[in-house]
Amino acid sequence: MEQILERILATVEKPARYVGNEWNSVRKNWDETEIKMAFAFPDVYEVGMSHLGMQILYKIVNDRQDTLMERVFAPWVDMEEKMREAGLPLFSLESRRPLGDFDIIGFTLQYEMSFTNILNMLDLAGLPLRSEKRKGDMPLVIAGGPCGFNPEPIAPFIDAFVLGEGEEAINSILDVYRENRRQNRTRREILSVLAGVEGIYVPSFYHFEYNADGTVKKFRHDGSVPPVIKKRAVVDMDKVPFPTSPIVPHTDVVHDRIMLEVMRGCTRGCRFCQAGTIYRPVREKDPEKLLEQARELVCNTGWEEISLTSLSSSDYSAVRELTGRLVDKHGPEKINVALPSLRADAFSVELAKEVQKVRRSSLTFAPEAGTQRLRDVINKGVTEENLMEAVTAAFSAGWSLVKLYFMIGLPTETEEDLEGIVRLAKKVLAVGREVSRSKGRLRVTVSASSFVPKSHTPFQWEPQNSLEELQRKQSFLKQRIKGKGLVFNWHEGEVSLLEGDLARGNRNLAPVLERAWSLGCRFDGWSECFDFSKWERAFQDFDLKPGDYAGRCYRHEDILPWDHLDAGISKKYLIKEHSKAMEGSPTADCRGGKCPGCGICTSLEINTSLVGGKTIEPVQDSL
Amino acid sequence: MNRYRIRYKKSGPMRYISHLDLLRTMERSARRAKLPLAFTEGFNPHPRVSFAAPLPVGVEGEDEYMDLELETPLQESLLVERLNASSPPGLEILACKEIDKAGPSLMGLVDQATYLAQNIRPFSMDDRQLTEGIRTFLEQQEIVIEKKTKRGTKPKNIRPGIIDLRGTVKGERIIIEMTLKTGSRENIRPEEVLRNLGKGYLPLHVEDFRITRTGLYTADNKSLFAVS
Repeated sequence: MEQILERILATVEKPARYVGNEWNSVRKNWDETEIKMAFAFPDVYEVGMSHLGMQILYKIVNDRQDTLMERVFAPWVDMEEKMREAGLPLFSLESRRPLGDFDIIGFTLQYEMSFTNILNMLDLAGLPLRSEKRKGDMPLVIAGGPCGFNPEPIAPFIDAFVLGEGEEAINSILDVYRENRRQNRTRREILSVLAGVEGIYVPSFYHFEYNADGTVKKFRHDGSVPPVIKKRAVVDMDKVPFPTSPIVPHTDVVHDRIMLEVMRGCTRGCRFCQAGTIYRPVREKDPEKLLEQARELVCNTGWEEISLTSLSSSDYSAVRELTGRLVDKHGPEKINVALPSLRADAFSVELAKEVQKVRRSSLTFAPEAGTQRLRDVINKGVTEENLMEAVTAAFSAGWSLVKLYFMIGLPTETEEDLEGIVRLAKKVLAVGREVSRSKGRLRVTVSASSFVPKSHTPFQWEPQNSLEELQRKQSFLKQRIKGKGLVFNWHEGEVSLLEGDLARGNRNLAPVLERAWSLGCRFDGWSECFDFSKWERAFQDFDLKPGDYAGRCYRHEDILPWDHLDAGISKKYLIKEHSKAMEGSPTADCRGGKCPGCGICTSLEINTSLVGGKTIEPVQDSL
Repeated sequence: MNRYRIRYKKSGPMRYISHLDLLRTMERSARRAKLPLAFTEGFNPHPRVSFAAPLPVGVEGEDEYMDLELETPLQESLLVERLNASSPPGLEILACKEIDKAGPSLMGLVDQATYLAQNIRPFSMDDRQLTEGIRTFLEQQEIVIEKKTKRGTKPKNIRPGIIDLRGTVKGERIIIEMTLKTGSRENIRPEEVLRNLGKGYLPLHVEDFRITRTGLYTADNKSLFAVS
């Protein structure tokens, strides 16, 4: 194999993707380790290596004496072609073992458009795609991550899903697997034990009947398994393992820096945001602990930048203290501190100014919608005044490039809201012209992504805009956001449409996915690979068309394809939020002290925990 | 400030990382080794590190060089030891010596390199066939390749940059040695030479060879360690 591989590596683009051997990568003794698990990221190395979750699980599994974890990424199309030509199976980076030699393969589900890559990787590993076809000695295929909250379109391909956070769930899985294998239990028996573990969803024990229109007619589960699977969440973020010796890639990856996770979850409650639900409750880490972890990370990695990661780092209670102390401690070593997600207000810009000794080329803000009315609908607690203060501060502090993120196709959107985007962009540019010192380089970039309704959010019942509507809105903006200093970017509507189908679809889409893959679809998130016509064909072969699920309007009383998967949030609360959205009435951030009753803290029996032992008392009866 | 010339080896899995990757990797090794790195001035400070000549991706380097500046002096052997302890496998620091701060740069000094190519797959070729093929190849006045530029490609004659080329066959092993112009003035890539040898002169494919750069030299054939 080595010889064939060497020959192949001489001919593919970026061979460093397939060699491993990075600093802090772990290669344990294969024969002396009882359980071998592969972490499979269904995208290229550069994307996968930017994922903090992988580094966390890699540490936990390799720190155990009885288990090992190795990595595998989706080979880029050139590598796939050569591997298939040479009959080379998909292999792990550390030991260069065929994927089929592992006991467990764990896929991460970060975005819907990576689903065909999962099928492709299973196939490259020589494994049957469908769970029911895999034999006793073949690896168990598990998956987790945000798309695990509606995994129905890929349910027939995966043996078990992990719902929620993996830090503790991974140990439960490994323990159950080890004990049951020692007793020579069959694959089916192991899965049935796993199905009883909190947070584990084994789809083959759950059965759906669908109506002709694709909605759920009946849902039932086998007697031995719980009717509803509740997500796993960590109680205390300071007490779970955090990788302070993460793998340092050699090659240029997307996030090539220290990722210091300051908290998990977000209190804001934007109504379109799935992450806002699935990572709740907010659990902040102790700043002392973070400083200690940062110090270790600097020593162990050699990275020259510390990025404070979370869903909304400027919301972290001790953000000012933490950034100040990090800059004091590591600034002299020429190490930057960075805040990747900035809230659109003056405080955040002030913070960015303090930490970023090096003036980055751009600052990014996400007002998401063009009018206050629509921002109230989506509960984006940002006012035009906030945004103007933020960009004024940014331009006067020397930034000359400001990026603004918006969404089009949001529920209740009208032409006025689109005009609002144009108006805001021009207003921001005008502020720049007024206050910026480098007027020549001044630029405002507007990015408009298309709204995709997601499960477990107040918009889970809402239809997505049709492709034609999205394209009409894009061209509306394209025609108006132009001229000196203005740049307009947008995402391909076709990709958003498929994302919408997969995000709210059901098991009827599994054969479509399979067909799309066999027609050659992979790397669908990459414009150079994406081929909509193949997807259209795949849908057509099953009497469906793209958008059938995305454009669906569910009723509150419908059984949703993900109703058996519990993120802790109460459905009553989501319905209430949905109605409030339609009235354009906002819901306050629970950081303010008043619990809006989403039900997550009570359901999971985990409290919101803020720096200094502060918490927010949940209302007991969630609505 | 003190300036050090470092001789290192880039082999095994490390041969697949690009020159830019190497820069990053070396900086991080040096940071992990807690060397008192000297940084460039300005808004975006970078460690003062410079290299002799980029190594093509996939090619091993047995005798590579870089210059590194430190804020405070460090014993040469200690520098080697610390940098080795914090470098990934495949990157090995062989030697280090302090050099004149004002001396010429590595980039300016390097003029030629020696390469060794060995087959990784068995070929049926005898010594006479190999020697004959190389002789005919070298007899050409012009060996033109299409060189990639910012705008498409343009023809380039690589023959004048081939200083020496010879080969021997030992059983199933084919060994080809080259001395090629290297550096900013003129740079000939060893894969190009092999690829063109395979075009009608000899029945070989460049992918079937493992290439090693065995040395880097000045215009008057001196080691980069000897001048400073």
